[in-house]
Amino acid sequence: MGVAMPPNAMEAAFLAQLDENVPAREMLAEAGLPHRRIEEWKWSDLRAVVGKLPAEPGVLTFVAARESDTVAKQGQESALCMPLLASALSKELHIYTLKNGETLELNVDASAGFTHQQLLVLVPAGIKAQLLEHYTVQSCAFANLTLTIVVETDARLDRVVKQDAAPEGALVLTSLIKLAPKARMAQTTLGFGARLARIETHVSHAGEGAQIRLDGACVVGAGLHLDQTSVVCHEGAHGQTDELFKTVVARDGKGVFQGKVYVSGGAQKTDARMQHRGLLLDDKAEIDAKPELEIYADDVVCTHGNALGAIDDEALFYMRQRGLPEAAARTLLIESFLAEPLERIEDEKVREHLLALLRTRLGVVT
Amino acid sequence: MPAIKETIEDVRRLEADKYKYGFTTEIEQEFGPKGLNEETIRFISGKKNEPRWMLDWRLDAYRRWTRMAEPNWAKVDYPPIDYQGLHYYAAPKNASKYKNLGEVPQELLDTYKKLGIPRKEAEVLLGLEGAGQSAAEARTEALSGQVAVDAVFDSVSVATTFKEELAKAGVIFMPISEAIHEHPELVRKYLGAVVPVTDNFFATLNSAVFSDGSFVYVPKGVRCPMELSTYFRINAAGAGQFERTLIIADEGSYVSYLEGCTAPMRDENQLHAAVVELLAFDDAEIKYSTVQNWWPGDVEGKGGVYNFVTKRANCHGRNSKVSWTQVETGSAITWKYPSCVLKGDNSRGEFYSIAVTNGRQQADTGSKMIHLGRNTKSRIISKGISAGRSDQTYRGLVSVHGKAEGARNFTQCDSLLIGDTCGAHTVPYVETRTPKAVLEHEASTSRLSEEQLFYARQRGLDEESAVALLVNGFCREVLQELPMEFAVEAQALLGVSLEGSVG
Repeated sequence: MGVAMPPNAMEAAFLAQLDENVPAREMLAEAGLPHRRIEEWKWSDLRAVVGKLPAEPGVLTFVAARESDTVAKQGQESALCMPLLASALSKELHIYTLKNGETLELNVDASAGFTHQQLLVLVPAGIKAQLLEHYTVQSCAFANLTLTIVVETDARLDRVVKQDAAPEGALVLTSLIKLAPKARMAQTTLGFGARLARIETHVSHAGEGAQIRLDGACVVGAGLHLDQTSVVCHEGAHGQTDELFKTVVARDGKGVFQGKVYVSGGAQKTDARMQHRGLLLDDKAEIDAKPELEIYADDVVCTHGNALGAIDDEALFYMRQRGLPEAAARTLLIESFLAEPLERIEDEKVREHLLALLRTRLGVVT
Repeated sequence: MPAIKETIEDVRRLEADKYKYGFTTEIEQEFGPKGLNEETIRFISGKKNEPRWMLDWRLDAYRRWTRMAEPNWAKVDYPPIDYQGLHYYAAPKNASKYKNLGEVPQELLDTYKKLGIPRKEAEVLLGLEGAGQSAAEARTEALSGQVAVDAVFDSVSVATTFKEELAKAGVIFMPISEAIHEHPELVRKYLGAVVPVTDNFFATLNSAVFSDGSFVYVPKGVRCPMELSTYFRINAAGAGQFERTLIIADEGSYVSYLEGCTAPMRDENQLHAAVVELLAFDDAEIKYSTVQNWWPGDVEGKGGVYNFVTKRANCHGRNSKVSWTQVETGSAITWKYPSCVLKGDNSRGEFYSIAVTNGRQQADTGSKMIHLGRNTKSRIISKGISAGRSDQTYRGLVSVHGKAEGARNFTQCDSLLIGDTCGAHTVPYVETRTPKAVLEHEASTSRLSEEQLFYARQRGLDEESAVALLVNGFCREVLQELPMEFAVEAQALLGVSLEGSVG
């Protein structure tokens, strides 16, 4: 407790790149990279995992449908360690201002070595837009990315995040989302894990009457780790949050779900619902979950549910009776279990694409 | 329903910050030296004439404690505790036996009266000469059911009732300070077996300075003939109380233990760090019920008891079962997580809790269920009610290890907020490492329904009575688990605790 650990190779490499007296440097020198003794990271020991990866700079390739609108030098400050590092260690901040009816596709590929990047996506008032992201992390790469998304009044954003399996890499994707009054957003993540992958989403209902749907489907195979963490903070009244996360873990994979809903005293009439369901397929599989509520307003409806278990034997039996081979029946059950969050995607083309991707991946994992 | 009527009456009778049990008994007390060092521990141990092994055990705990840091992860906020400014031992000076009632200090009798212990039973409790035979008589007069009482008056267990009747059944029920002398083999074997000396900061402190508490041993195949009960009171100003309770249920036995708590009003914060250890062998069952109503501090949160408790059960044997039921309405700070380690195959753990916080109270409480054995089952039902400017957190852990095939857990935690200046939080941790377990968790947070309130008020109930009625309904599932005598008291307590929270 309180005893500073000597920095590992990765931390030393970061420290070498940071100027004296920047907050990121102080934080890193004092606490190091997040590790299991830090409450928010207790099931995802980032420090231990990236400490074993090569501590040299890598290359981040961005393939976007179009150029960013602006490139700024400095990002915003954050109280969170990883965004703070992303801001301090990335050279520039790409800013995208979405147009009405636009679908922006972002393909991000991280090569071996460490990379940091920050992005800002602005959704101006009254428009409707779509953001499709796809993350690939190569072997021995560690990518730390931070996306700040601002959805203005009456605007609507549909976001889809795809994350490829990366058995030898690590990824931390932090999204900082700010919702203006009456802003609407829907986010769906389809993740397959990495040596360690953490998809962390912070949502601030800053204005009144904003809505967010936050969904995720995860398939974690042998030797992989996927952490879905979200913090939804209701500051404005009449806000709505609807979360549905599903996790399937095979072999010795590890799935982590941490979801927090915070309702401040002024956020009356908040309606927040959070559901997490986990399916463990094999003996060595592990799921850790922490659905959390912190509530200071009385006229609210907040619920969360969390259920973990195995495939329902009765359902399996029923399907086999009807002539399906066991393997096919199992796959079908797992697929339908995971499809639920994906089916809530409004855009049919995107929805079908993700369902197809899920089917392909399930064939490999199970 | 008569209990509801009682609640309503209680609410009416009491004014805003008058605490029914907030009296102080003016009797001479003997204090240990102030502060905590090896001398204090030798003093406590010496006072109790303890054998060498016990003193060594305490000193070892103390030395370990000095190297430990106070935990700060709980969602409670309080000024630093000055561990050197406290007395670690207080005993009524005149603990010797009395010849007749006239010799008993009037204040002591009054305390018993206010606690609701009838005079006849008090005679037995006080160890009056010739009172031994009247135990059965006192019992039938005092209570409808059979209840044996071991009253912990500050640190010294004043007396134990119904010892003889229990002895006939082979049940050992006595202050732990006596058990150290009379059954050293049992105490030595099991003390610290469930909560190790170094378990946590407060448990280690307790191990070093524990003053007294209850010891229960139920032999093989015995169903304890009566409910065992103890009343804890914190009486002397500035004297922390550190009870240590150890209950062992041998193969095939059953015991139900009731713990009721009241404490007098005090300005200074009083520290309370108890340790309760339960051990259940094959086919044994322990039911542990608590009603806790310590002084929560005044409206501004001044005073009040700091309650840092470690309660743990080891369901060691096959088919063993432990059930914790608690109604928590008191204390300024609560830090309490009754737990079950489900080691034996087919063992079961249950936790039923009602926690009410009002005024400036802060409670961080919940349960831990550790599934190690096959087909282990656990159930957590927690009802939290926050009012005034209080803060309440449910913090729980359900952990299923790889070998715990067939494990099953159901957790439900519901929070009710009364007013918009209080907080209700839920922090459940769920860890599973086997696909052959099923775990479910549900939580909800809501306010009192306007419609239900309106309905109750239309039928002539004033607002506070209507709230008490609805809250009793909200807690129904837990109240049902309480033994009869406690259920009535608990329902009354709920009403009293919530007074002044509406309007």
